[in-house]
Amino acid sequence: MGLELTLAWRNLWRHARRTWLTVGAMVFSNILLVFLISFQFGTYQLMIDNTLSLFTGHIQIQKPGYHQEPRLRDTLNDIQPLAQSMRAQVQGAEFSARAMGFALASSETRSYGVQVVGVQPESEAIVSSLPGLVTRGRYLQDDDTQAVVIGETLARNLKIQPGDELTLLGSGWDGSFAADILTVVGIFSVGVADLERLMIQMPLPRFQETFSLGNRGHSVVAKVNNFEAIPATVNRIQNLTASGLDHNKPLAVLDWNQLQPGLKQAIQTDMASSWFMYGILVILVAFSVMNTQLMSVLERTREFGIVLSLGLRAGRLSKLVMLETALMAGLGMVIGIALGVALTAVLTHTGFTYPGLEEMSQKFNLPGRMYPQLSPLSIILGPAIIFLGSLLAALYPALRVHWLKPVEAMGAV
Amino acid sequence: MNVAATSHTWGIVWRLAWRNLWRNYRRTLIMLSAIAIGSWAMIVMISFMRGMVDDMINNSVQHFLGHVQIHNPHYRDDPSIVNRMPPLPDQARQFLDQPPWRWSQRIRVPAVISSERESLGVELMGIVPEGEMTLSSLPKQISSGHFLNSADSDGIVIGARLARRLQTELGKRVVIMSQDPDNNIADRGFPIVGIYTASMESLEERYAFIGLHTAQRLLNVGNSLSEVEIQGPDFRHVDNLYETLQQLLPGRDVAPWYRLDTYLGTMLGVMDGFVLVWIVVIFLALSFGLVNTLVMAVYERVREIGLIMALGMRPAAIMQQILLETLLLLLLGLLLGNLLVLLTVIPLHDGIELTSVAEGMEMFGATPRLYPVLYAKDWCLANGLVIVLGLLAGLLPAYRASRYDPVRALSKH
Amino acid sequence: MAENKRVDNKLIDDNVVKTNVSENSAVDCKNLCKVFVQGDARITALDHVSLTIPKGDFVCLSGPSGSGKTTLLNAIGGLDTPDSGEVRIAGQRIDQLGKAAMADMRLHNIGFVFQAYNLIPVLSARENVEFVMQVQGVSMAERRQKTQDILSEVGLDGMEDRRPHQLSGGQQQRVAVARAIVSRPALVLADEPTANLDSVSMEHLMDLFVELNQNHRITFVIATHDQRVMAYARRQIHMQDGKIVSDERR
Repeated sequence: MGLELTLAWRNLWRHARRTWLTVGAMVFSNILLVFLISFQFGTYQLMIDNTLSLFTGHIQIQKPGYHQEPRLRDTLNDIQPLAQSMRAQVQGAEFSARAMGFALASSETRSYGVQVVGVQPESEAIVSSLPGLVTRGRYLQDDDTQAVVIGETLARNLKIQPGDELTLLGSGWDGSFAADILTVVGIFSVGVADLERLMIQMPLPRFQETFSLGNRGHSVVAKVNNFEAIPATVNRIQNLTASGLDHNKPLAVLDWNQLQPGLKQAIQTDMASSWFMYGILVILVAFSVMNTQLMSVLERTREFGIVLSLGLRAGRLSKLVMLETALMAGLGMVIGIALGVALTAVLTHTGFTYPGLEEMSQKFNLPGRMYPQLSPLSIILGPAIIFLGSLLAALYPALRVHWLKPVEAMGAV
Repeated sequence: MNVAATSHTWGIVWRLAWRNLWRNYRRTLIMLSAIAIGSWAMIVMISFMRGMVDDMINNSVQHFLGHVQIHNPHYRDDPSIVNRMPPLPDQARQFLDQPPWRWSQRIRVPAVISSERESLGVELMGIVPEGEMTLSSLPKQISSGHFLNSADSDGIVIGARLARRLQTELGKRVVIMSQDPDNNIADRGFPIVGIYTASMESLEERYAFIGLHTAQRLLNVGNSLSEVEIQGPDFRHVDNLYETLQQLLPGRDVAPWYRLDTYLGTMLGVMDGFVLVWIVVIFLALSFGLVNTLVMAVYERVREIGLIMALGMRPAAIMQQILLETLLLLLLGLLLGNLLVLLTVIPLHDGIELTSVAEGMEMFGATPRLYPVLYAKDWCLANGLVIVLGLLAGLLPAYRASRYDPVRALSKH
Repeated sequence: MAENKRVDNKLIDDNVVKTNVSENSAVDCKNLCKVFVQGDARITALDHVSLTIPKGDFVCLSGPSGSGKTTLLNAIGGLDTPDSGEVRIAGQRIDQLGKAAMADMRLHNIGFVFQAYNLIPVLSARENVEFVMQVQGVSMAERRQKTQDILSEVGLDGMEDRRPHQLSGGQQQRVAVARAIVSRPALVLADEPTANLDSVSMEHLMDLFVELNQNHRITFVIATHDQRVMAYARRQIHMQDGKIVSDERR
């Protein structure tokens, strides 16, 4: 093995320029793949986190059917005790109860239809990031009674400030007239147009009173501490809610993908097009390798003929060709990863942007400046595929050795 | 002098380049495949991306974005009935009544829609049916009932999802509630005369249509309007229209689509950037193999080049020969690549159905059907860039070949 | 420099070149020196060599390996430039020409026959012969006619369309000779043209050289160390250590 390795290594440098050009193709593709995959992984996780943490959460417990067509009447009984019992029994997750309704919100001069959300202020601040994004005034507190926080755009449209009054007009759970007068205590700015334009939040007890809900609510939102633990947590909640919390019907326990199916699909769509691009890069590198190794086999026809006539098996020569390819691909991988990681590491600190990125990323709850995330997987994935692709491409030249005939081969110039 | 002395050598240069190309046909075929796959991937990827962006834009254009919109200068910031405008002056009407322009006028305000069971927020569109039919797609997608038959119609048309959420149906009554300019609640009951469907579910609960004159009476605004929308033949060429209208309508807010929806406007620019980057990346991945092939092709016929030079062919003609060989390789590869493009794009002419990721596509703002769209400028850019950059890559091997010393080249091996 | 330019300009026009060919001496060398440095060693390939070859001469250059005969041949043929001294071909000074002008000079004035690897592998026998004329810009009809004539003169009728690898060594050398003389150069330079040939082929080739020399008054300079080849020469120049040690005419 030692001798073969030496032989393979020396053979590589018989045409140093050709070897370097082939290695260069690998290095180029590897740098690109390390950067792009790290960038992609970083973006996807950020996209998921930002989208979910704002309001949706990781898991929601609702009445079956509510998610598809949310109606005020599709409630869960004893929503606060349900949230409380979840907090007590499920490890590694935070819970908060919500109720949601619709009302016409009016200031002195304007009226807009809005989505009203009743929240438990202190636990809401743990499960969602919106409470932290109040830019004027403050977020709700548990002892607030007639307070409300509203979005930036809505505040502008209604022409109101913190301290002003807001009148709500809608219909309650039982079809009765629902009306309330609240004081704006804070204005949030979250970068998502629909939320800023359409949503207001008020304390849950007041909401239940205003909309005649009694002790009912619409969902319990959960945020898990470890993203990977979501399926297990969903199972745990399903077991708990099925076996007993004196509810007659089983509850719907929805994970983030059921709550926001578009998110995963958008990522899948983006992945599909990215993998198409990566695939093309790998194929182009593979062609480069096939070309180089075929040349190197063809120009050594005479040499191989001599060795074959000395009694060496063709299989050994095929192995030699593969070993050469592996060395070349290994070199491309090492240099590619080194440069790729160096480049990406710099960008993870400085971040980067390009014209138009900010406008586009807003649509996906992403910042205008991107920071790729290096991880062992994001580093090794692309280069490993290039390595395998190179070996695969070298099979044809390597197997060609088998149809050499010693005498004819020696006659070749 | 150079030209005079070398123009008649073209014939022999051609013959040498062509025959040398096929001397090592395996290598040439591998390289041709690489160029073909590379250029195929370039153009197909670009055409699908273009198709998606075009689809996003056309889709939005037909969902009340239009090519150019006219508003009261304050309306876009505060889309209330307070910020209304008088009808267009005659001069502007006369201009817009000529082909190729299509236009219509609207009342467009936020409102609350209520059934006996539920209340929700909608955008109330007071429209002129004949004009709206020429601009927008929703009025044509009626699943039950019919669209409004006049601007004075007493009925309302809503989306299928909204009807489900309101738990109402065709023929039943709903109540529309909005504010008039004095912030008084304006409400009125409407029978549902039609239900529309949309390719994106979210659109089905967003808009409710009533007649323009009915809306003007409801809101007590005389003949005032919220919005005028104009469409021309092509969303790419709206600047003339936009500038003309700006001159005709001083004191009004005239805005082209790309300023009304900055996400879409940016997408168009980002696509141009992506096209260029993608072409260059693929080319670079190809270039290593290309240079390698050319270097090898020159290397293995050093003696022959020495001989040709000794016989009196000028260095410039040697360079021509290598560059011509490069050009032939590129052109043949591109020819194959473009054939593959046709074979891909023509069968997919009707688009690919992506229903499994429909909600993800919706997040991007696209419909679940993906069409390839091949722009002439992209096609020229891809092919042109490959040829120009490919010849540049061939320049170094060609130059080196032309600088050989014939004595040394002849004594090689 | 001024002289260079003059030569360049004259080479544009074939007629001008041909008037120069009519001068008396085909080759005129004065005081040629050339030193090769190989590692630490300095090899003197040409040591003040002066030589005049009249038009129509048939010269054999002989000498052991490394005696400088190939270097002299390359200097005369404009493939290599001497360190000092002058080379004139048909009265034109060539040792200071640029690459392109040198290529033109070779194209119009000199035919080469090398030891081996004489033919362009991707071209047929006919195309190889036509090659020089094609680069010169000779019309198609004229080219075809001349090529046909010369190939039958060197005895290759019926082999016109064969590629080099389909021809024997002797046949390949005949094609090379045909190519070297087809455009009637002032001078044909041959470097060990018989080295790879059996004796029958060698005799055929040398007979052809003599015949061409007599019929067409083409000047031949042949570098060789084959005694049998020297027997054909009218003038025999012997070199050693970069110097001409004997110059005999028979």
